[in-house]
Amino acid sequence: MHQVASQLPAEAVASQTRPLLALENLGKRFGSLQALQDVSLDFRVGEVQCLLGENGAGKSTLCNLIFGVYRPDDGLMRFAGREWVPAGPAEALDSGIAMVHQHFSLVPRMTVVENLMLGQSRGLLQHRAFAAKIRSIAESFGFSLDPEAVVGELSVGERQRAEIVKCLMREPRLLVLDEPTAVLPPDEIGSLLDICRRVADSGRAVILVTHKLAEIAKVADRVAVLRGGRVVAKAEMATADMGALVRAMVGREVKSLDVALSESGAASAPPVSAGDAPRPRALVCDGITVKDRHDAVRLDNFTLEIRAGEIVGLAGVEGNGQSELGMVLAGLQRPAAGRFFIGETELTEAGPAAVTAAGGGIVPEDRHAVACVTAMSVAENMYLNKLDRFTRFGLLRRNALNQAARGLMQEFDVRAAGADVAFSGLSGGNQQKAVLARELTLDPLVALVAAQPTRGLDINAVEAVYRQIRAAARRGVGVLLISSELDELIAVADRIVVLYRGRLVGERPAEPGERAAIGALMSGHGL
Amino acid sequence: MEETLAIFIASTLRLSMPLILAASGELVSERSGVLNLSLEGMMLTAAFFGALGSWGTGQPVLGILCAVLAAVAVAALQALLSVNLRANQLVVGIGFNILALGATTLLYRIIFGGLSREEIPGLAKLDIPGISDLPFIGTAFLQQSVFVYVGLAIVAGLWAMLKYTSFGLAVRAVGDEPRAADKAGIAVARTRWQAVLITGAMAGLAGSFLSVADINTFTENMTNGAGYLALAAVIFGGWNIGRTIGACLLFGAATALQFQLPAMGINVPTAFLLMLPYLLALLAVAGIVGRLEPPTALTLPFQRGK
Amino acid sequence: MTALAASLPDWRRLARIAIPLAAVAASLLVSLLLIAISGRSVPDAIEAFLDGAFGSAFAFGASVNRAVALSLVGLGFIFAFRANLTNVGGEGQIAVGGIAATAVALYGHVDGLPLGLAMLLPMLAGTVAGAVWGAIAGILKVRFGTNEVISTLLLGFVALLMVYWSVQSTALLRQPQTSSATLPESLQIPVPTRLPGLTGDAESPLHIGLVICILLAVATAIVLQRSTFGLRLRAIGLNELAARRAGMPGGILLVGALAMAGAFGGLAGTIMLQGEQYYLKTGFSSGYGFDGLVVGLLSRGSATGVLAGALFFGFLRSGGISMEIMAGVPAALTLVIQGLIVIAVAGSVILVEKLEKGAR
Repeated sequence: MHQVASQLPAEAVASQTRPLLALENLGKRFGSLQALQDVSLDFRVGEVQCLLGENGAGKSTLCNLIFGVYRPDDGLMRFAGREWVPAGPAEALDSGIAMVHQHFSLVPRMTVVENLMLGQSRGLLQHRAFAAKIRSIAESFGFSLDPEAVVGELSVGERQRAEIVKCLMREPRLLVLDEPTAVLPPDEIGSLLDICRRVADSGRAVILVTHKLAEIAKVADRVAVLRGGRVVAKAEMATADMGALVRAMVGREVKSLDVALSESGAASAPPVSAGDAPRPRALVCDGITVKDRHDAVRLDNFTLEIRAGEIVGLAGVEGNGQSELGMVLAGLQRPAAGRFFIGETELTEAGPAAVTAAGGGIVPEDRHAVACVTAMSVAENMYLNKLDRFTRFGLLRRNALNQAARGLMQEFDVRAAGADVAFSGLSGGNQQKAVLARELTLDPLVALVAAQPTRGLDINAVEAVYRQIRAAARRGVGVLLISSELDELIAVADRIVVLYRGRLVGERPAEPGERAAIGALMSGHGL
Repeated sequence: MEETLAIFIASTLRLSMPLILAASGELVSERSGVLNLSLEGMMLTAAFFGALGSWGTGQPVLGILCAVLAAVAVAALQALLSVNLRANQLVVGIGFNILALGATTLLYRIIFGGLSREEIPGLAKLDIPGISDLPFIGTAFLQQSVFVYVGLAIVAGLWAMLKYTSFGLAVRAVGDEPRAADKAGIAVARTRWQAVLITGAMAGLAGSFLSVADINTFTENMTNGAGYLALAAVIFGGWNIGRTIGACLLFGAATALQFQLPAMGINVPTAFLLMLPYLLALLAVAGIVGRLEPPTALTLPFQRGK
Repeated sequence: MTALAASLPDWRRLARIAIPLAAVAASLLVSLLLIAISGRSVPDAIEAFLDGAFGSAFAFGASVNRAVALSLVGLGFIFAFRANLTNVGGEGQIAVGGIAATAVALYGHVDGLPLGLAMLLPMLAGTVAGAVWGAIAGILKVRFGTNEVISTLLLGFVALLMVYWSVQSTALLRQPQTSSATLPESLQIPVPTRLPGLTGDAESPLHIGLVICILLAVATAIVLQRSTFGLRLRAIGLNELAARRAGMPGGILLVGALAMAGAFGGLAGTIMLQGEQYYLKTGFSSGYGFDGLVVGLLSRGSATGVLAGALFFGFLRSGGISMEIMAGVPAALTLVIQGLIVIAVAGSVILVEKLEKGAR
């Protein structure tokens, strides 16, 4: 069992020259969307190849084609010299392709060993043998993993390692990792990359999918860049021009982010200087503590004061208490301790309606679960919290509602076929703009809490969201911007506070030069 | 007094048995993510076909076989609708219960006509000379129908299956995270089908216990909500087989009181005693006593890529 | 483009209506087959069925009265269903409505009251009792997250046993026991507490319950389709978290929806009591709760659909009873038909969705 890491070298050396997996002119459509077009790539044993691309570039689709989740519409794939037409993930696994998914594919209520026996064992469960195997695989790749731990109680990094062991147990020849770094705090990324290197060195091919080039530069042998479903650049990492790769990925001058930066510096209200009278408080959190069902502390004594006109960024790797804070401030969850105020009104126990009435606009993290009712119309969603305005004798004045909604849609550039079409028919960006429109037109509006407001949006929508948030701040609204994208926070916020394991661990000015310091805080260092 | 207690224990065990069989079968299906509100209908169908088979062949064991086959057939339809056609499991279940009540009543009238309360051949009671006659222990535990002991053994088998086999692991996984199970190479639909068929087989045993082992006749709507009590027991038991059996015993004991209390001269309205199991079940499903989390994907159909 | 767009909704609506109709037709065929297999004469059975359903003023009136009770339960069902709640407790809600109405009519000293109060007060009592019964399930749902399907079912059993209890005990509603032959039933409710007839024709059992039912159907349609309350119910049913975030009182709406469903069930019970049965006995609710549930399910949330479905099942029931008496075909056949329809309609949801997608 201890030789797992060095089991395949003979074959590996033999096949060093010809690719293990070759893609030839692959294409995939979803309805009218051409997700992939004319993609030709090859992957070799002993090599880590990086697939680089922005959200929506087609990276996940490509992985799913290789793994048999979808079938290509055009082109063909060759794996180990033969044409590769997987019927489903099961066949991919059997043939030696394993994938660490972006969303983990572990059952949270079961233990690590139970998860790893799933689909691997027949008949009676061989609990002890599997547990031993897990330990030995982990050891041979240089990390440790407790087989008896319940997955739901593991940290993100540990879960990911369990996922990797799960893949390695099948002794795959090709390991695909889909955005493995997105969920990790900075200090865990290094050890992940070490593992990838060791896997490749043990005679396997590794595909590493990411949109963050800097992180993986040191581990990749080659890199291919996807944009809009096409391969737009390929390079050997050793000789690659990093700037050119990034330009290929974003398809525009990288300066654009810097423009956003400088714009935000000028646009938001100047910091309060000593001479000014202090501006009124917009949002005050006083020692908020949240515990989960198992009585574990998820948010610990969170204290923050945001003044009118100020944008405060809350940085942190996801899962460090941001969601819990969002739920409390939305009035959907009672904290175990602490209080919060919007303006001068205490709202700790008051519930969502009172938060709205006091001028608290909420753009929640999970748009579909919390912000909108996708089966209802755009107009109904845009006025979901103000339906009384359109009610006479209990009846809804639908024409007036639709008319008002059309005005708001124009103002906030929400593009839809009409005010009465289903909300679910809108693109993510337009949905988000509609939610922002609803929350920003509260009267009065004192504070805005926006959680991950640009996630999954295209660049135009992102800029529109930034613009609206800045404009609100200029009007004197206090903004709490919760985001796991550090660049976003640096671009938009006035100052940044960092949340780590449910606690505020530091505050920094929102300046590009602070990136490293904030990154350290996010990973729990620099305390 | 001791004799009364022994009889009370014996009748609790006897009255709990159909609930235990049905609930532990339903547990398997619920762990896989399928809720069978049709449990009641499966049991009623089984009770009827058990009686019919036993009456027709003169062999109670063949009757039980008929019952199991009939209930498995209903379960197969339920699986087709819940797993493949992704129908609303609750609504389909209600449909099956109405259908089962109508069909068994209809067939009973057609086949047995006016001769209601036809006595059918039943199963023998356990009688080990010298042991079944032991004071207290004998009366309480060792004079039941043979079916009781076989049934308990089968339930123990189900428990071991869930805990110690790959199939059991797959069942739990598809009920909690079907997507993850799918990615691990588990056939979600097939696993759920198998789990629902197991529920059908167990409901078949439960229904035939009523008609073949316990009452030795079929009466219209003879399950009278036993299936719903079994469902409540699964919730009460927190999807854990031991606690589920405990809940069934509690409901059985409540029912046994109907006969026991009047015999002891304690005067409680019969209606209240009849109501007691349902009231307990209601308190149980309300989670007023120790609430636990259901399988995450319970009642949610699975579709790859969605 | 516009012509095409205009024709699309019709397509979809057609699929929506066609599938339940096909299910009804198929299950009727199956039942004819069952009659034939069982060796009874099919023409005789059909004749008996038609005779019992429409054959006389009495038969017609009785069928319509059944439809009234089924409509009320069905209207309650679609009320709760608007909030995505499945009320399976119609049977129990009818039962508690009947108990409360009987108690008030017999022992509430109401029979001397003017202005129709003698009739209205028992009706009100039954409606409130039904609402309370529905609200219990709502409160369990909101406070403890109990699935309303299970809780309304179990509450139904409890309510049925409450009827049994009420008529078993002279301390409750049982008529005074004069001999050992006194049946476990309540006394008949006084004449002033009964519903007045509708036609003046003594032959026809039609009563003003029909008028009440139609008025409530119109009101339900307006509330569900046009009112802000209806929209809020829909929002809470589709996405509770988002609706609560938008300031809607989630708990109150959910409890209210189930209470409303229960109130309709309770009212159905009082109308059954005050319009036709006049006394309470075990089995008083006679399966109308389940039939009403089926009616509600088939209506797909439309009040008109409820009325149509209730008429269908009202006639089906009357005809079924007549078939049993006159042609020897067990009335349980109607249950078979209902069960098949529910299963077919529930199973075809995906098919309908596909058709609708195709039409788009």
